[in-house]
Amino acid sequence: MARLVVLGGGVSGHTAATFAAKWLGSQHEVVVVTPNSKWNWIPSNIWVGVGQMTKEEVTFDLAPVYAKAGITYKQAKAVSINPEGSESKEKPFVTVEFTSEEQAGQSEEIEYDYIINATGPKLNFGATPGLDAGHTVSVCTADHAVHASEELAKSIEKMKNGERQKFLIGTGHGMCTCQGAAFEYIFNIEHEINKAGVRDMADIKWISNESFLGDFGMGGLHMKVGGYAVSSKIFTESLFTERGVDWLIGAHVSKVEEGRIEYELLDGSTGEEEFDFSMLIPPFAGVGLKAYNKAGEDITDTVFAPNGFMKVDANYAAGSYENWKASDWPKTYQNPTYDNMFACGIAFAPPHPISKPMSSPNGTPINPTPPRTGMPSGIIGKAVAHSICDRILKGENAPLHESSMADMGAACVASAGKGFFDGTAAAMTVYPVVPDFEKYPGTGRDTDYTFGEIGLAGHWIKHILHYLFIWKAKLKAGWTMIPE
Amino acid sequence: MVKDIVRYPTPPSVEFATDVRQFDEALFSLIEDLKDTITENNLDGLAAFQIGSYFNVVVVKDENGEFLELINPRIFTTEGKVTTTETTAYFPGLSAEVTRYDKISLVYQDREGKQHSLQAQGALSILLQRKIDYTFGAHFLSKLSKEEKAKFEKKLEFGADVAISETCPTTFKRDYFPKIANIALIVMALLLVGSLFVGDKAILESMWSAQEYLFATVVLLNIVYFFYAHYEAKRYTSCISCQTGNIIGTMLVSIIKLILIMVISYFLINPN
Ligand SMILES: Cc1cc2nc3c(=O)[nH]c(=O)nc-3n(C[C@H](O)[C@H](O)[C@H](O)COP(=O)(O)OP(=O)(O)OC[C@H]3O[C@@H](n4cnc5c(N)ncnc54)[C@H](O)[C@@H]3O)c2cc1C
Repeated sequence: MARLVVLGGGVSGHTAATFAAKWLGSQHEVVVVTPNSKWNWIPSNIWVGVGQMTKEEVTFDLAPVYAKAGITYKQAKAVSINPEGSESKEKPFVTVEFTSEEQAGQSEEIEYDYIINATGPKLNFGATPGLDAGHTVSVCTADHAVHASEELAKSIEKMKNGERQKFLIGTGHGMCTCQGAAFEYIFNIEHEINKAGVRDMADIKWISNESFLGDFGMGGLHMKVGGYAVSSKIFTESLFTERGVDWLIGAHVSKVEEGRIEYELLDGSTGEEEFDFSMLIPPFAGVGLKAYNKAGEDITDTVFAPNGFMKVDANYAAGSYENWKASDWPKTYQNPTYDNMFACGIAFAPPHPISKPMSSPNGTPINPTPPRTGMPSGIIGKAVAHSICDRILKGENAPLHESSMADMGAACVASAGKGFFDGTAAAMTVYPVVPDFEKYPGTGRDTDYTFGEIGLAGHWIKHILHYLFIWKAKLKAGWTMIPE
Repeated sequence: MVKDIVRYPTPPSVEFATDVRQFDEALFSLIEDLKDTITENNLDGLAAFQIGSYFNVVVVKDENGEFLELINPRIFTTEGKVTTTETTAYFPGLSAEVTRYDKISLVYQDREGKQHSLQAQGALSILLQRKIDYTFGAHFLSKLSKEEKAKFEKKLEFGADVAISETCPTTFKRDYFPKIANIALIVMALLLVGSLFVGDKAILESMWSAQEYLFATVVLLNIVYFFYAHYEAKRYTSCISCQTGNIIGTMLVSIIKLILIMVISYFLINPN
């Protein structure tokens, strides 16, 4: 009997674990180690953050789902991996610390035959001084989003009482990703403020590390607007103008204080911006797992990249922008040193950004880091599970399944306001996610499959997807048929 | 080398607006071609797309008439809005009122790939915004207000700025006349149907006389409509729906309906 341990029960890990359990059957064991008792459909946190959904609507208990799937569930967080075992243990193992109330403070060493690291991001609020001090809100977790919606309600109340409010939404560091989430949040806020009848009392401003509006960490994409195909820059600029949202880009937020931030721009100049309500996405890092060899020596640097994400079969020596290739991106997500170790979703270390690298004359990098959105995270999780199941069921030499982000399309629906009749969302598809400059000279993308459009239909799709993905994650009838 | 300038209707394409990654001879000769074409055509600037290249390269003349080479330019701050009349080699002979930022800050790379920054205001700022839009697949049509866009699309149709001093409205005052005539026709039809249930000769007689009055009213409304519509049409030179054919057509429909109702009424309501 083989044991697969999946670290992290988020979008990617949950997909990997549930498919692996289905494919492996009861002959083998799948263990999920994840610190939260609930699963969260993170994209809908945006609606929680504007009070349009409750926390309960976007989360559900993991234990009954894993019990149904025959998955061993450990409510714990992984702290270290011993890929060679230890002096006292022959097999590789992972050390976990339990997080549930009943087992708090306890730890366990779980042996494995295969391991998937799907621990997602550490929300690195500490990277920007003051970003972790509670002056701003976040929508990255369901609890954060509940808090954000309470703060938003207070601001709306103040505006109703005649007090002007300044909203500052965007990224809280020069090396952030997830601009898409901030984009959704700013337009959902604008929509709610409008609905509350106090739009004229609100100044809404976007701040981000993108070098052009609509970069989204992907070097932009094409949008069809009124029959014309234009860059997402043109589309986003006109959306900002239409909705009266001001913007500042190419910005690294260097300090956050009560009601104000300081920033550095791409030309090296500095400035400050005041706010009454602010949501700034933190930069992401790996969750800080350690690795030790058999002798107990620290080999974290061998297994993980300096940003804490796990090294996989990517080309980390690609060098500068002009040398970047589609083939730099990983295909199998296997760790180069330990072949029974894989990483998927946000947890794998990307070889380099997708957007053009930029920095200020002072050397401060100011560019989006590569996003790994829900769809690629799910697809990669499934491919990795497939590879491991094949190796367990067919033998150690079974070929690995490949799913490179440079060979994969992604669809994304970005909400710009929730409402049955007046909601809007921008639906975008991009192929491939990582530009392939050799295959598609120019932008590196296939324009036939890379486009977007905004409208009410997009909102309905987004809303339907919310129910569909929660249905899938709960493993209800037909879940395997629902795409990632 | 002087190149042909890409003009409307060749669409700008994001497929080609791509960042320069190799700073090599091909880039240098593209920049030289842009300069030669600017000089030859006496222009103030060109984006690479305008001479058929796919790269994110812009060459403009600055306030002193010196060439400014901008590779992979990015505008990152903006201030103030201004509306000016713009022309561009892409739409020769046409102009539009475009609202843009008055002041901008941008970063760009030079031929060696070194990053520089620049602050521009007024005419240079507007020129740079227009050229950078090309490198992202857009011309100034995507920057126009709804009204200005409608006007500009008319100009495109006619191929000139002339005679497009106003746009064709979608509602006209003259439309009130056929509307009132229609209401009168509905009342006539109702009287007609109502008469089927009336046996009393006196009532039928007053119904018939009401029908006669309504008939006269509809005829009168149509005559007034004919003259007023012509008067109104003269104020909108580019208005297709103001043509005499349309006006007569509307009148004819109304008169035919009127005659039909009146003929049937003559046999059914008229007690004499
Ligand atoms: C506000 C917001 C909105 C978004 N909207 C969209 C959208 O509309 N569309 C889209 O495609 N994507 C969206 N995304 C991105 C999407 O949520 C991510 O791509 C996706 O969640 C990544 O999946 P993952 O499994 O890698 O990470 P996660 O889903 O974050 O999962 C990681 C899991 O690992 C667990 N974990 C952490 N540390 C440890 C540890 N030490 N040991 C064990 N487990 C650990 C975490 O608790 C978590 O359960 C959004 C993201 C945010 C923040």
